[in-house]
Amino acid sequence: MPNPRYDLVVIGSGPGGYVAAIRASQLKMRVAVVERDLPGGVCLNWGCIPSKSLLNSAEAMETIRHAEKEHGIGVGEVSVDFKRVIARSREAASKLSKGVSFLLRKNKIDYIEAEGSIAGPHTVALTPVAGKPAPKAEAIEAERILIATGSGERLFPGMAVGDGVMTSREALAHDQLPASVIIIGAGAIGLEFGYFYQAFGSKITIVELEKQMLPGFDEEIAEELRKSFIKGGATILLGHSYKSMTRKNGGWNVTLDAAGAAKTIEAEAVLVAVGRAPISKELGLDRVGIAVERGGYIKIDDSFRTTCPSIYAIGDVARMPLLAHKASAEGVAAVEIMAGVREPGFDVEAIPGCIYCEPEVATVGLTETQAKARGIEVKVGKMPFRANGKAVAVNQTEGFVKLVVGKQYGEVLGCQIIGHHATDLISEVVLGKTLETTTVELGHAIHPHPTLSEAIMEAALAAEGEAINY
Amino acid sequence: MLACLKGKGTISMSSEIVMPKLSDTMEEGKIIRWLKHPGDRVSRGDALAEVETDKADMVMEAFDEGILAEIRLKEGESAHVGATIAILSGAGEAVSASIPSAASAEAPAPKPETPASAARSVERVTPIRGNKRRRNGNGNGAEPIEDAKVETAIPAAAAPVEIVPTADEEAGGFPVSRDFHPALTAHPSAAPTAIVAPPPGNTSVTTVPETHAPHDGGKVRSSPLARRAAEEAGIDISQVRGTGPDGRVTKRDLDNYIREQQLFRFRRLVAPREGLPGTREELSKMRKTIAQRMAQSKREIPHFYVTVEVDMEEVVKLKKSFEVTELFEENVTYNDIIIKATTLALTRYPRMNASYQDDGIVIYPNINMGVAVAVEDGLIVPVIHECERKSLPEISRASHQLVAKAARGGFTGDDLSGATFTISNMGMLGVEHFAAVIVPPQAGILAVSAVKEKPVVRNGQVVVGKTMMITVACDHRIIDGVVGARFVNEIKRFLENPASLLV
Repeated sequence: MPNPRYDLVVIGSGPGGYVAAIRASQLKMRVAVVERDLPGGVCLNWGCIPSKSLLNSAEAMETIRHAEKEHGIGVGEVSVDFKRVIARSREAASKLSKGVSFLLRKNKIDYIEAEGSIAGPHTVALTPVAGKPAPKAEAIEAERILIATGSGERLFPGMAVGDGVMTSREALAHDQLPASVIIIGAGAIGLEFGYFYQAFGSKITIVELEKQMLPGFDEEIAEELRKSFIKGGATILLGHSYKSMTRKNGGWNVTLDAAGAAKTIEAEAVLVAVGRAPISKELGLDRVGIAVERGGYIKIDDSFRTTCPSIYAIGDVARMPLLAHKASAEGVAAVEIMAGVREPGFDVEAIPGCIYCEPEVATVGLTETQAKARGIEVKVGKMPFRANGKAVAVNQTEGFVKLVVGKQYGEVLGCQIIGHHATDLISEVVLGKTLETTTVELGHAIHPHPTLSEAIMEAALAAEGEAINY
Repeated sequence: MLACLKGKGTISMSSEIVMPKLSDTMEEGKIIRWLKHPGDRVSRGDALAEVETDKADMVMEAFDEGILAEIRLKEGESAHVGATIAILSGAGEAVSASIPSAASAEAPAPKPETPASAARSVERVTPIRGNKRRRNGNGNGAEPIEDAKVETAIPAAAAPVEIVPTADEEAGGFPVSRDFHPALTAHPSAAPTAIVAPPPGNTSVTTVPETHAPHDGGKVRSSPLARRAAEEAGIDISQVRGTGPDGRVTKRDLDNYIREQQLFRFRRLVAPREGLPGTREELSKMRKTIAQRMAQSKREIPHFYVTVEVDMEEVVKLKKSFEVTELFEENVTYNDIIIKATTLALTRYPRMNASYQDDGIVIYPNINMGVAVAVEDGLIVPVIHECERKSLPEISRASHQLVAKAARGGFTGDDLSGATFTISNMGMLGVEHFAAVIVPPQAGILAVSAVKEKPVVRNGQVVVGKTMMITVACDHRIIDGVVGARFVNEIKRFLENPASLLV
């Protein structure tokens, strides 16, 4: 019997791949998903989801630690079973991974456990994965192929994980709380783990090559976050680049370069969080002439089509920003464009970015600096949470909302929030930006009192010089 | 006009296809080949004909649908922009139906020549594939006509002529006669009269009143920003075709509406036509245009030239650092950097971004940079619009897109029109120095030569440096020598301090 021919084969079952597969199935395509690891990909198994579980534990720890001083609730001696903290996060990941399996089954999508690679414009080769049953066929045929292989952790050349040297992936499974950790890279991943370890009492040092934390983010936000970390006891080394590391006394000595001067710091563990790289190398792309851009990203057009017309790519493997929700949205868009129910094109300006340390950071669109660099005249409305009733009531007054709007019409260009629940607050602004909302609507829409969301309303009013409470 | 009814769908009738204005300077066009023939069914976006214009050979696409009833301009013949070149009859109808308005009760009742059209006119809904989401159209093409005010004016007999969504759900489905309609342009506020399609053979143009049906009592889907901007610009937003979900009008739609009311999209054909060696070569439209415009430029514009030598050491380093750090998806080219520097200089010397007219000097608010590109037997000048709003990577991206379009032949009218200043770069040809001819009605053009290794004096030492000659040609009617010199020195200043280009 010949191999079944699918309408679409998706390589990778992460937030891009599995969502695309389900949407394709809804659009009456016959779909298969090829996955070498676990359903749900990095996001669900080794990224977003388990890390949020850990951060939730960290938050619980912080609340308990401050309970007596803050609320007058004495809790006595606090003990931590760190193995349990890690195990809880694995349970969350496993639950959701099974959920993805269920959704794929429910949508009649064939799930194939194998390493998929491109063997031809319509052929995906299946290589068995160690420890898993071999796939029934060596290859499958498809009208179209969607590459959604995502990205992997990056290390410095010559560096290897083990003995306390970790990327986010190892850290998620590392069930011994290190007494001290050096975190290289002050991006989202570095800061989330920094907050996590700090909350459980590790001594942390965050090293960043750039002159600010969260390079590329709004400077005020970065500064606010730096202060918050320092308040929590962290050492922050900005403008320091990594040089080398050596094993010493069961820990690590890390040598840094600060404007030409060498500096050595030590810790029990080292977490490397210097970004992620697209997984495009061993996919057999050159067999069908798929062009790859610098940095390893697969080149795509407005329709997510690669330079091989029957093959598409979405998510981290195709372009930045490397975000799960961007991958999902691209997956849906790509499949809808294939089915002819959507026009080509994808707005990359309204993709929110979130960091889940405490205070949280959430952003969408342009910062004030970016807008000005584009020659756009802007107004900025800022509302600190210390002027927000709810924030004061729950004593979470750190941070602010910064809304960047066009000067002439007051349309939302971007928003940066740092503070408690920032990641939940940003969606209002994302919707506003998507709908091309102006300060008039944001400022006039009645926000419930008392809530943190009032800060967004006030920021919109502030942009027009009409803020009531600040 | 038909667009009036867009809130409720469009009544099927015949419309004229006119010679479209496919470039700023196009006055007439020649039909190379008709791609559709009388009796053929035409859908929106179908290629109708290949047209030779002054800029390039383009494919003219249909913006409306129906049956091609008649071709009035034969292959090989030319016609002026706006002239009727073919007749398109409404979908399902062999000839036109008349749509009386309130003011024309005497208009004849529609005469559906094909009874079938009346029979199936109860409701025509564009088939929706799968669970297609409606993306376009301010209204639903299949909504009952009763909602529209024109309803009372349509004689009972007209009822069977139901609303046929000839323009699909697309609100922008103007009849082709609208924008290039000479009469209409002359009398944009002509009193509403009957819309009468011309009888076959009548070459006079249709009278299209510039009114439109009420749009659902203000129920045009649009974003707050688009509404605010339209209000300030004095534009009736119901005239704007929305591309958002369910035809929602976005700011970009409004900008597009304002910038171009193009009825045709077109693209350059890759159709090499060469003369035999030693034979007399017929002038192509493009050659003719270049000849005409360059002669006009030199005849009318008193040129003067200012040259400076630019130390490119820092730019070379900057470009290299982009490459090393892989900061951008695509390489930033010298040309991109020069565009950025020139844009910044233009914002400081707005008179360089201007046009001389007999009654005054027009200074343009936007900097639309033309970049001269050689093509087969001629040149085209794709335009990067609103450079003053673009960062260096955005300029780079825009120019990469234009290059890609040039390779694929996918230029739209916008890509080739509206330049306010031009850069001609022959650096890749290794030239030492040259000067360029201004493209009228612009005020200047920058000629860019190659980056060369030369001995330069740095800190009192002769070292090997990298330099480049740039020459600006200026229209002396607008700009005097000092301004031209300051302007070109401003470009030099930016290029020699390129960190400023990243801000």
